[in-house]
Amino acid sequence: MNTALKEYTASIDYGISSARTEIDRFIIPAVTIFIALLLFFFMLFPMWSILQLSFFKGGQFGISNFTLANFHKYFTTSYTLKALWHSLYISTVTTIIVIVIVFFFAYAMARTTISGKTFFRNIIMMPLIAPSIVQALALIYLFGRNGLITAHLLKIDWNIYGSVGIIFSEVLYCLPHAFVILYTTLSAVDIRLDEAAESLGATPFKVFTRITLPSAKYGIFSAAALTFNLTITDFGNPVVIGGNYNVLATEIYAQVTNLYRFDLGATISIILLVPSLMAFMLNYYVSRKTFSMISGAAKPVIPPSRPLQKVSYTLYCYLVAFSIIVIFATVIIGSFVKIWPYDWSLTLDHYNFPSIGGYSAIYTSVWVSLIVGICGSFITLVAGYVMETRKPFFKQFIYLLSVMPAAIPGLVMGLGYILAFNKPYYFFYGTPWIIVINIIICNFTLGILSSISNLRNIDPSVEEAAISLGGDTIRTFFRIIFPLSRVAFFQNFVYFFMRSMTTISAVIFLVSATVHLAAIEIIMLDNDGWTASANAMCTCIIVIVLIMLGVLQIVAKKTGGRPEGLAAEI
Amino acid sequence: MKKAGLLALCVLLVSLCLAGTVSAKDKVIIYTSLENEEVVDYLKLAKQDLPDLDIQAIRLSTGELGARMMAEKDNPQADCIWGWAVTNMAGFIPKGMLAPYKPKGWDKIPAEFKESEGYWTAIDLYAAALVPNTKVLEAKNLPMPSGWNDLLNPVYKDMLIMPNPASSGTGFLQIASLLVMLDPDYKSKPVEANKAWDFLKELDKNMGQYIKSGSKPAKLTAAGEYAVGCSFAFVYSSLKKKGFPVALVLPKEGAGYELEANALLKGAKNEAAAKKFLDWAISKRAMESYAKFKLGVTYPGIQGPKDLPALNTIKLAPMDFPWQSENREKILETWQKLFLK
Repeated sequence: MNTALKEYTASIDYGISSARTEIDRFIIPAVTIFIALLLFFFMLFPMWSILQLSFFKGGQFGISNFTLANFHKYFTTSYTLKALWHSLYISTVTTIIVIVIVFFFAYAMARTTISGKTFFRNIIMMPLIAPSIVQALALIYLFGRNGLITAHLLKIDWNIYGSVGIIFSEVLYCLPHAFVILYTTLSAVDIRLDEAAESLGATPFKVFTRITLPSAKYGIFSAAALTFNLTITDFGNPVVIGGNYNVLATEIYAQVTNLYRFDLGATISIILLVPSLMAFMLNYYVSRKTFSMISGAAKPVIPPSRPLQKVSYTLYCYLVAFSIIVIFATVIIGSFVKIWPYDWSLTLDHYNFPSIGGYSAIYTSVWVSLIVGICGSFITLVAGYVMETRKPFFKQFIYLLSVMPAAIPGLVMGLGYILAFNKPYYFFYGTPWIIVINIIICNFTLGILSSISNLRNIDPSVEEAAISLGGDTIRTFFRIIFPLSRVAFFQNFVYFFMRSMTTISAVIFLVSATVHLAAIEIIMLDNDGWTASANAMCTCIIVIVLIMLGVLQIVAKKTGGRPEGLAAEI
Repeated sequence: MKKAGLLALCVLLVSLCLAGTVSAKDKVIIYTSLENEEVVDYLKLAKQDLPDLDIQAIRLSTGELGARMMAEKDNPQADCIWGWAVTNMAGFIPKGMLAPYKPKGWDKIPAEFKESEGYWTAIDLYAAALVPNTKVLEAKNLPMPSGWNDLLNPVYKDMLIMPNPASSGTGFLQIASLLVMLDPDYKSKPVEANKAWDFLKELDKNMGQYIKSGSKPAKLTAAGEYAVGCSFAFVYSSLKKKGFPVALVLPKEGAGYELEANALLKGAKNEAAAKKFLDWAISKRAMESYAKFKLGVTYPGIQGPKDLPALNTIKLAPMDFPWQSENREKILETWQKLFLK
């Protein structure tokens, strides 16, 4: 998020009457309606299908068909009900752990003078470049029943399958997301308050509990809500390391695929939607307050830290960075060794994928991701532009629609797509396009938020000048706005690309015989027990995403914008 | 800027073309639940033998495949099914989702391996097997099991792993075989009163995990995560070839088995191409290639793989396919109530 949010209320004067403004009168409503329709049809309509199937007999809408039988069945069957408690437990514990770990990490980055900050900042962002399954894959290799550390170094019997495994992997998965929020908060809050308290004689502990923590409280809430949401909706990690421990996301999948109970799947989707929607609302409400806390006078000068503080924070950061590096190293090394942990000779065998998809899946994933990247970043930029500078009639409504996808779990959206669009007349069903659309919609929120915050940075007078010189909206957009937001556009592109390469839950219901995706191949390979090949597929995805990030850096440098690294993506 | 815009446009156009490529070949879309590694092999052969077909396949677990079919009932995406458990297949005939088709060479397949009207034609038989890890058995000083009953021994506590019958066809055939074997009166009483549940409850005390797929118990065991994996026979030979320390035990009480069959879908969009593929799928060449993996194929006179015992030397469990197909939902419900925690 960009901190320099310059609210401006400059009203734009369309004083010049020319033929061009005629186009304007038409183009703005057209674009607005297009975006509203897009979100209606590809977000609300699938959600409506899910609601229908869970509340009405046979999915047929009508008063006489209304039934709570599905919910009754859910709440009276003990193992499905357990999934709810499991999900809440996992998410709560994960949230607490993540916030504690990340708070001190962000504190070290924002408030101390330790060296190697760029390194630490880049490392903690790493989980973003891989599907949310690497953590589980690596943890099994390291701490599984025959794990390298547990069984071979420590020689202990330890069972990681279940809640412990899920919590560990979710914590590692959520670090970057929480970090971005807490880092922004901690660097924005006025550090002189702490200094003042200290010079008035407060102990460091008192400063921490009375000044530092309260001033960051909105950031903490917001990060906690986001972590909770990410954990409760994640599918990749629980399905790999959960063992017999079911959570809501895996239970939806099990009901649909094992028992063919689409109605119960839809019902559990609704149940999953409730906590995730609540976490989202909290985040939405709190993040508005966060910005009001940030004063323009905040000074980024950090006083030199005490030696002891410096050493302990450095050690701490190395520890966190080390655990993330170990995860990635395990997966990458695991893809090259013959039989982990029996035979350490190196081999490329695992890259000879024992699956129908294989390399064509990677190829398809790259193409789909490029299209998602281009379309996604373009649509969100246009939407942001129209909303921000032209203030269409129902701006608030569109804004609400476009932040909603963040609250809807990917798996639920995927199920909704099957239910809503699997009709002969939806020609796009079964083609790659439904996957493209699904990924763009699922990640719409962050795309549009970063577009808006970027557009707010463009001086409105530039645009006013363009208009008073006779430029119409289309021209202004392509000649002024687009070039000025090029770096943001590419960042959005990389964000969409990255999400599209790594997303699992949203598209697992949508892959087909004609469209295989690399991230889904990982799940399938792992399901069949080809863990090493699953690692190999992960490694391929990681390499491709890293290449794309490298390209972004080059583009950003060439176009004169400052590369902001991964942190700018969120 | 212009360049970037142009580039973006080009990429879009090219990708549009790619997405809508119309190849000269006839497309056929196949759903299969044969194991990925075999399918890769078979498909190579199929592409050689059927050069004018553009074969597009997806591998789904037994449960997933059924869910796809149900979801796509009004708008079938696939043309045919290749190698899917007969137990599940049988349930889809009354739903009116399959079309009868007797592929070329249908007469060669013995009557017990095909549906009389041609709704499905079985290609192979695969059997349940226990796959222990010899290194783990040695390290923990555990005895080599010889059948299901041995697994009740408390020394195996948390050392066993078995597939979840709801998602895995292998898991289901294991449970079904026990239900039929352990209770002679299984037909005359409700599913939940079957004596085999008591046996399974005992077994559950030793069970480390119920897992989604049928091959994974063997693979996780091979990786040393468990001591004995309840899985199926051919996964053993592929693990052995890769150098894992595994053994093969066909339960002495009788090995449960399942037929895997092909079928044509009603409303298939590429019916002609699908029929060509189904003809190929029961040809001698195809069957010989299945026989490299499967314990037995339905084409008479083809020997199974060399590293597995010959089919006629194995004691197979008495399976009752019509009964287990009819009672599938009930069996799964009972199992889930008892064993999902």
